[in-house]
Amino acid sequence: MKRLLAILFSIMLLFTMACGKGDTVKIGFMGPMTGGDSNYGKLMSQAVKIAVEEFNAQGGVLGYNVELIIEDDQGSVEKGNPAIEKLAGIDKVYGIIGAVFSSVSLAIAPKAEASKIVMISPSSTHKDLPDKGEFIFRDVINDSMQAIVFAKYLYQVEKTNSVAILYVKNDYSQGLAMDFKTQFEKEGGKVVAMESGLKGDKDFKTQLTKIKGLSPKALYIPNYVEEIAQIIEQAKQLGITAKIYSADGFSNPKIFELAPKSANGIIFTQIAENRSQVKKDFITKYKTKFGEDPDIFALNSYDGARILMNAIKQAAEIKDKKLVIDRDKVRSIVAATKDFDGASGKITFTANGDLVANIGIWTSENNQYKQIKAYKLENDKIIEIK
Amino acid sequence: MNLFNIPANELLQHILNGLTLGAIYSLIALGYTMVYGILKFINFAHGEIFMLGAYSGYYLYYYLCTPDQGGSWVMISFILSVLFAMILSAVIGMLIERIAYRPLRRAPRLAPLLSAIGVSIILMNLAALAFGTEPKNFSYPFDNSVINMGTTSITPNQIMILAVGLIMMAGLKLFVDRTKLGKAMRATSQNQNVASLMGINVNVIISLTFAIGSALAAVAGVLIAMEYKVYPSMGQMAGLKAFIAAVVGGIGNISGAMIGGILLGLLETFGVVILGIPQGMKDTIAFSVLIIILLVKPSGILIRNIREKV
Repeated sequence: MKRLLAILFSIMLLFTMACGKGDTVKIGFMGPMTGGDSNYGKLMSQAVKIAVEEFNAQGGVLGYNVELIIEDDQGSVEKGNPAIEKLAGIDKVYGIIGAVFSSVSLAIAPKAEASKIVMISPSSTHKDLPDKGEFIFRDVINDSMQAIVFAKYLYQVEKTNSVAILYVKNDYSQGLAMDFKTQFEKEGGKVVAMESGLKGDKDFKTQLTKIKGLSPKALYIPNYVEEIAQIIEQAKQLGITAKIYSADGFSNPKIFELAPKSANGIIFTQIAENRSQVKKDFITKYKTKFGEDPDIFALNSYDGARILMNAIKQAAEIKDKKLVIDRDKVRSIVAATKDFDGASGKITFTANGDLVANIGIWTSENNQYKQIKAYKLENDKIIEIK
Repeated sequence: MNLFNIPANELLQHILNGLTLGAIYSLIALGYTMVYGILKFINFAHGEIFMLGAYSGYYLYYYLCTPDQGGSWVMISFILSVLFAMILSAVIGMLIERIAYRPLRRAPRLAPLLSAIGVSIILMNLAALAFGTEPKNFSYPFDNSVINMGTTSITPNQIMILAVGLIMMAGLKLFVDRTKLGKAMRATSQNQNVASLMGINVNVIISLTFAIGSALAAVAGVLIAMEYKVYPSMGQMAGLKAFIAAVVGGIGNISGAMIGGILLGLLETFGVVILGIPQGMKDTIAFSVLIIILLVKPSGILIRNIREKV
């Protein structure tokens, strides 16, 4: 028996040694891969896959290939925590693209910071995220900027003075709703209703009936598509005529499948459009490889992955025939990113790791997204960019 | 009508919303209550039958037609899909009974309950595996544009839910009260041994009970799928709520389940509007009701018919 155990343990030891050899450089992706929001995770992880393939084809990190580890957080904090523990403790990744949802990113940021893992979120727009640590970045516009520009736009450009808000109680939706309300009231507008629901709710009729009774000119629903689909369909069923506005959560094309009859004609904010060659090439590649269009967050994921891997490459060196990567160096190279030519636009990080960006006002038309206008925020004023 | 400071038209709208929600709860609750009436245990896999009903309806519907084209063929396919969903769910319901519950009929009462929870988990995960976890859109077979009546609006689907719910429930009530099989069911629920002595095939009656309950759940599944999409975990919350509805009405009592469902739907809607319970805590209403009923009146609100359980 003892001998058997000894043999067993030696085999296990061999395995651990083989694993520890580390002939790849690992990076992680974290997002909802299953569940109602899995389309976000799918589109984004596919973009990261393309970036990794391209990077490895160009030689990788001093001849070592980058390996992508995809972790499913199902969009929830409960699943996100074990996922970051695995990425940090077992895979020992150098960087993470993710998490997708703000609540998850906020929850995993302290662990990433403590393990010196550069985290670039392609889609978490909550305003507090970049302040969570030196290793925490994002290449997506933040909520408060989106909310501020949109509040100014709605009041000053569309001359709408009464609005009802229906948000879902998570960091993303609630953050946007609050920032928008503050700014809109500062402008002189009136928020007639501030209704809320829970993530995963299907029935919003009670809130919408209340809103209908107040007959606001506009209804602002800064949510994710699963809830947006229910809300816009039910608003229509209740005969609500207010114009509907949303934020970048609306930019997932799944909405046209979930609410085919109500998803067009909605106005929403997201990053201003970019017509660069990098974007065109990426979209062509994405379409041929996966047979579908990437969403805006997929573009961000692609850019984030490239910034991360380039930084790892620059920070890497060979010592005693072994690859050594200085984590602090990776961070400082990522932090110094300026005018990086990305698929989503020129990327520059602010001192705390946030993205410097212009905001576009978009609409949905014939199951496609289209930018109507673009603005930048300067000295508390919105200036249209042509 | 200004008792609660709600405008009359808004009140009407809330009642309408509550009734549609309640009709769905009632349809599912019937399955719980019928099974409980006969076997004295709660079939926790019932919510999953509701979900499988929605999926089977969805797949046949999209196999037969392209709903967005409209026309009479879409309507025919829809009706066929509902029938198909009912039959398939009835078969699944009977199979579950045969495989998971019948071998445990003489076991302590906890055993079939645990078996039911196990079946529920297995079915939900199998569905996630087979159909994917993404919600699927189930288009209406007709133009679902709102009908405005003054300031209150109703959709054709709401009308359909109310009408179908009512017809199904009335049909079931008639079946149980007026037919020979219904009588056999009532007899089985009162005493299985005596019923079998009277020449009633108890096993057949139990299978029939599962089949009817499952078919009703499938109808509810398809109706709700058009409103709230099809996804593997759809049976969880709906199943729990329907279970609460059954308890509220007095579990084992068919009329009770119907009334309990409608009551729960209205309570959920009005709890938010009148009592000012935060919207996020909507689900707590149902569970609070369950706790209160269990504490105050465990036999449910309809005690008069308590002797006649089916």
